[in-house]
Amino acid sequence: MERRELLKMVALLTGGAVIGGELFLTGCTNTAKNDVGFTPANISLLDEIGETIIPATTTPGAKAAKIGEFMKVYVTDCYTPRDQEVFNNGVVSLQDGFKKANNKSFMEATPQQRHDFLLTLEKEAKAHNTKRDEEDRPKREAQEKLNSTISWKDQKVFEGQPSHYYTMLKQLTLLGFFTSKTGMTETLRHVAVPGRYDGNVPYAKGEKAWAE
Amino acid sequence: MADNTFDAIVIGSGISGGWAAKELCEKGLKVLMLERGADHKHIVDYKTAAKMPWEFEHRGKTTQQQRADYPVIHRGWAANERVMDAWVPEKDAPYVEEKPFTWWRVYRMGGRSVLWGRHSYRWNELDFEANAKDGFGVDWPIRYNDVAPWYDYVEKFAGISGAKDGLPYLPDGQFMPPVPLNIVEKDFAKKIKYWDTGRHLINSRVANITQPHYERTNCQFRARCWEGCMFGGYFSTQSATLPAAVKTNNLTVRPLSLVTKILYDRDRKKATGVEVLDAVDNKTYEFNAKIIFVCASALNSTWLLFNSATDVWPGGLGSSSGELGHNVMDHHYNLGASGNVEGYEDKTDYGRRPAGFYITRFANLPGDKKRDFVRGFGYQGGASRRGWSNSIAELNIGKDLKEGLSEPGEWRIGATGFGEILPHHDNKISLDKTVKDKWGLPVLKMDAELKENEIKMRAAIKEDWVAMLEAGGIKNINAYDNGHAMGHGIHEMGTARMGRSAKTSVLNGNNQVWDAPNVFVTDGACMTSSSCVNPSLTYMALTARAADFAVKELKKMNL
Repeated sequence: MERRELLKMVALLTGGAVIGGELFLTGCTNTAKNDVGFTPANISLLDEIGETIIPATTTPGAKAAKIGEFMKVYVTDCYTPRDQEVFNNGVVSLQDGFKKANNKSFMEATPQQRHDFLLTLEKEAKAHNTKRDEEDRPKREAQEKLNSTISWKDQKVFEGQPSHYYTMLKQLTLLGFFTSKTGMTETLRHVAVPGRYDGNVPYAKGEKAWAE
Repeated sequence: MADNTFDAIVIGSGISGGWAAKELCEKGLKVLMLERGADHKHIVDYKTAAKMPWEFEHRGKTTQQQRADYPVIHRGWAANERVMDAWVPEKDAPYVEEKPFTWWRVYRMGGRSVLWGRHSYRWNELDFEANAKDGFGVDWPIRYNDVAPWYDYVEKFAGISGAKDGLPYLPDGQFMPPVPLNIVEKDFAKKIKYWDTGRHLINSRVANITQPHYERTNCQFRARCWEGCMFGGYFSTQSATLPAAVKTNNLTVRPLSLVTKILYDRDRKKATGVEVLDAVDNKTYEFNAKIIFVCASALNSTWLLFNSATDVWPGGLGSSSGELGHNVMDHHYNLGASGNVEGYEDKTDYGRRPAGFYITRFANLPGDKKRDFVRGFGYQGGASRRGWSNSIAELNIGKDLKEGLSEPGEWRIGATGFGEILPHHDNKISLDKTVKDKWGLPVLKMDAELKENEIKMRAAIKEDWVAMLEAGGIKNINAYDNGHAMGHGIHEMGTARMGRSAKTSVLNGNNQVWDAPNVFVTDGACMTSSSCVNPSLTYMALTARAADFAVKELKKMNL
């Protein structure tokens, strides 16, 4: 998948724009690097969360794509401090919530328990993001209306409330996996140097999509 | 010859500067090419070009630090981890936006010739006559026939792939075999060809070579041109003009040399050379030559003319007409549409093309309906099956989601409009002496915007493309117009225009500054109107033509 297509896909699957800031005019001057606690234990946890979202099947899953390490780099370098905070608190919240529901830690649980719990989070995140969108909409529209009446120099891009932390985890898993070596070459197919273009190639249902 | 004296000085190493250096060197002149940025060697300095996609730490995404350092580049799609080193650090080189202006700059050897769109179309006769006919701007001092042989000349060397389409308003050139269309595009082309007043969907004509050419290997269909091509698969200064110039042993290249002034001799009414600020030792050097080619990119060439003001020309060298810095043009961009193609589930493609299709201009050409604007536009686009199936939105997590994402979705087709922007006198740039760059030099102030003709054309660009998509049976059409700050088309031009009179233009029909005839400006600054096709091929042709003229004049002792 081309990068732009991939971003669209991730947005579609997680019900919102891809986190990491696509603001064009203002609000993009954060430069602080927050330590969001990417300990080896947390990275293992993120690997398992990723693996629950994209598991190994006939091809390797997110853990094999070192998804925890990817999340560390991406969140640390590309997220705003505000989104980093949501992510960081969310990872703690996920562990607490899981323990309460299952009487054991996420790491100790079975794949099925993990899967079921993430499904509840999926629903929670959807509800959260829907409510967020509803609350943000009038404010966004008010800002857009204001922008249309004032000098371009005074215009601001409306920055809504952050997404649910689970949305971040799912986005990062999909982004990281489908741009990883295993994702691009085993789950999808990839040719580094095609050498030519053929615009009329037979395709049979079940064949893999091109990675780019 | 003294160390600092040459026959010719070329300022800038992008598409125009590279051509100027090659032509002047091959005609036997000793040439000094000055580049403000660092060297950037062919192949060895393309640091990312051989990396696999998964080797990029952020998988293409830019960091918060880069967002802060490159705010202008982040207004568009060019902010990508792979090419961030190419752009000039914006804090070092600020500019003032009286009105929004998006200026994409590459300050290093080869300039934007390494990062360009590569679409290469000839202008037609009507383009050169347009100003005279509808009265916007001044008349071009030249016509298609003056440039046609030079199009032939530069196409043969640069290597342009395309099909001979035999269209009345898009002249064919010296082409290599085209980059192929895919089956969806071919079928769509047939559906719109005879619809309404007819629409021509043709292979993009691009400076990607489809056959080996000189020392260069043909395009390998990786679609990673902007990172630099280790095969030399597309035209750039590094892959084409620079090696040709070097081969003559007549070329001296001096990177990290910021030209601050063109030195003017008021008695001889000619330039004598240039003043250079060395970006390494911060000292000023002077170089002399009989002729000077200004190819620093449209707005920076104009900056240089402004900054070369003397008491004879207080508004800058070439300012006597009052047009220097005025008539900023660009091309419409940031608008288009795409949609789903039904059928073709049993088809895919192979390889990643550097280009797709081009839909040629039809607006305000014979056979077209009545329009409420002048001039025209074209479209660049493609069809591909790179996306996912819409049904995956229903999937949550786990095996089903993974499997759903491993198969391709429907074919999609889409295109972006590129349209002509008129030369409006009050669209202008000027020097702002209250703001200084890293080198203590005054910066440019941009004051340009879309006007009535442009706004009306924008609506038509979108509507007409949606109508074509509908006629072609395309479903779920998504049209957009994200607005257009001037400069965002990366085709800024016109601020030192050519013309027939010294009273209304900066340059004559041979790209000579009226006020200093041994100074030639051959980059985008020289453009009198903008046409709707990509401009770089025309810069190449005008540069080669001006270089030929300059050397003949030198031999006649006229310069």
